[in-house]
Amino acid sequence: MFHVSFRYIFGIPPLILVLLPVASSDCDIEGKDGKEYQNVLMISIDELDSMIEIDSNCLNNESNFFKKHSCDDNKEPLFLNRAARKMRQFLKMNISEDFNLHLARVSQGTLKLSNCTTKGKGRKPPSLGEAQPTKNLEENKSLKEQKKQNDLCFLKILLQKIKTCWNKILRDAKEH
Amino acid sequence: MIVHLNDKQENLKRHDPITHPWSEKIMTILGTALGMVFYLLQVVSGESGYAQNGDFEDAELDDYSFSCYSQLEVDGPQHLLSCAFEDPDVNSTNLEFEICEGLLEVKCLNFSKLQETYFIKTKKFLLIGDSTICVKLGGKHITCQKMNIVKRVKPEAPFDVKVIYREEANEFVVTFNTSHLQKKYVKDLLHEVVYRLEKNENDWMHVNISSTKLTLLQRKLQPNAMYEIKVRSIPNTNYFEGFWSEWSPSSHFRTPENNSGKMDPVLLIISIVSFFSVALMVILACVLWKKRIKPIVWPSLPDHKKTLEQLCKKPKKNLNVSFNPESFLDCQIHKVDGIQARDEAEAFLQDTFPPQLDDSEKQRLGGGVQGLNWPSQHAVITPKTFGGESPLRCLSGSVTVCDVPVIPSSRPPDCREGGKNGPHVYQGLLLGAGTTNSTLPPLFPFQSGILTLNPAVQGQPLFTSLGSSQEEAYVTMSSFYQNQ
Repeated sequence: MFHVSFRYIFGIPPLILVLLPVASSDCDIEGKDGKEYQNVLMISIDELDSMIEIDSNCLNNESNFFKKHSCDDNKEPLFLNRAARKMRQFLKMNISEDFNLHLARVSQGTLKLSNCTTKGKGRKPPSLGEAQPTKNLEENKSLKEQKKQNDLCFLKILLQKIKTCWNKILRDAKEH
Repeated sequence: MIVHLNDKQENLKRHDPITHPWSEKIMTILGTALGMVFYLLQVVSGESGYAQNGDFEDAELDDYSFSCYSQLEVDGPQHLLSCAFEDPDVNSTNLEFEICEGLLEVKCLNFSKLQETYFIKTKKFLLIGDSTICVKLGGKHITCQKMNIVKRVKPEAPFDVKVIYREEANEFVVTFNTSHLQKKYVKDLLHEVVYRLEKNENDWMHVNISSTKLTLLQRKLQPNAMYEIKVRSIPNTNYFEGFWSEWSPSSHFRTPENNSGKMDPVLLIISIVSFFSVALMVILACVLWKKRIKPIVWPSLPDHKKTLEQLCKKPKKNLNVSFNPESFLDCQIHKVDGIQARDEAEAFLQDTFPPQLDDSEKQRLGGGVQGLNWPSQHAVITPKTFGGESPLRCLSGSVTVCDVPVIPSSRPPDCREGGKNGPHVYQGLLLGAGTTNSTLPPLFPFQSGILTLNPAVQGQPLFTSLGSSQEEAYVTMSSFYQNQ
């Protein structure tokens, strides 16, 4: 019995200590010179911004996403990674082919540049919203429209924050 | 933990079939047999090749290396990627190209084939990171290359090359157009402009510019010659790189003839007129220097000696004036009481002549005026004027004397040069015989001066000074100078 307790006392804690860094995220960003951002990503972000015909002072200013994630110091790559993942949800909106392509370029390009080593095993991307049971078609239609507007508003704000975060990265890179 | 591992090892050793002696032998025999079989197969296949498919007969010797270039936004938002084998002898009948990675929304895309070139036209290039392009045969990858599409950009060829001659600046302005000015990704290009004389086949001049306008100076080109010019482009950004585009269509232009010896006609006329004007001014200056220009620029001081000389010019030839008594033979000479005559003359002068002595005419009444009764008679003495220039103004009085303005330049009295005490001969002082009471022969005016009488000459008309003092003489002299 004594050797069994030794196994659990001296075996498991070191194991936990070794495995702990694996669970944490470690993000780094490539392209700090700004070539990829200025020549490719920024063009697509501007195109998306022009396609979204909605006032930026809309709802979702205090979205939960922005409460959880922000472009703080030393967390810029992580924020960009999270934002890029979030953008993939909007591909389902199917606004237009060009819209989807630019959205995909920003999302995929940012993910490629932001090298994050977080292990997310088959994590299902959160959906934009659950379908609520509606009473009639008209209410359903208006709700969908409202939801679309909210999503577009969120996307517009998200694009602005991505741009701001990239500018911050480039500025910090120039200073250093 | 180590204790547990050791126990496990012992258990494995006991039940491990591999460590059994007879099994080792069996395994060895089997392995050898299989090896021999594979070796024979390889040898056989190497000699005869595959019977089914002859394409792989020389598969090991074919070079499937290929090269690709990309053209972004070549058809609206669509991009083009073109690949071709470097070896033109490659039989590409069943070969396919495939691109994977670096794409949007899809994993891989297949190329289309056009003659010997493989291409793909799509919007789905990510434009970040590398892509993998593989040559496939029957679904199997033969060769693959990893490349970045943005580093293999070949711009579209420029077009619409125009050459305009600017005569006023003596230069040629070359302009051209490129479709990349309206593109979003590859906007900044480096353009190479080349030009040559048409007769010189390979002597091209190169100029690199980043804009779509170039200026060629006329003096650097041969006159009256035909030139050929064309342009190509290459990406000039820090992100997009690639190859030179195709050459633009050539444009031709002719340089004008050398007109450095010819002058502008207007300029020629102006230069001739200005030359003649300057020459005329120089000639006029030389001609008028002495008479007009020099007196104004460098006025001369009056020279009294010269002035006197001018005053005392020699009489004309036809005038016979002298104090020689023989010249007065035909004149009736009457003796006059000298003192009375002098007094009368002085009085007369005081009454008649105005204070401005410089303009006053001094008359000298010669003695011997016959029949002239001064106090009682009125006589009009009309002095003769030269050329009838000066008007006469008759004054009433015991003796009517007409004022005649002095014109020294035209009527200088004749004076003999000689000593100051010498006799002064006055021109025109002729008293004709038979002078009546009514008229008197005209008296010539004379310059006032110091009148000196020759006391030795008797019976000569007494010349009285008109009361002109030395001051009057100098005043008259200065006025003479001023009139000059």
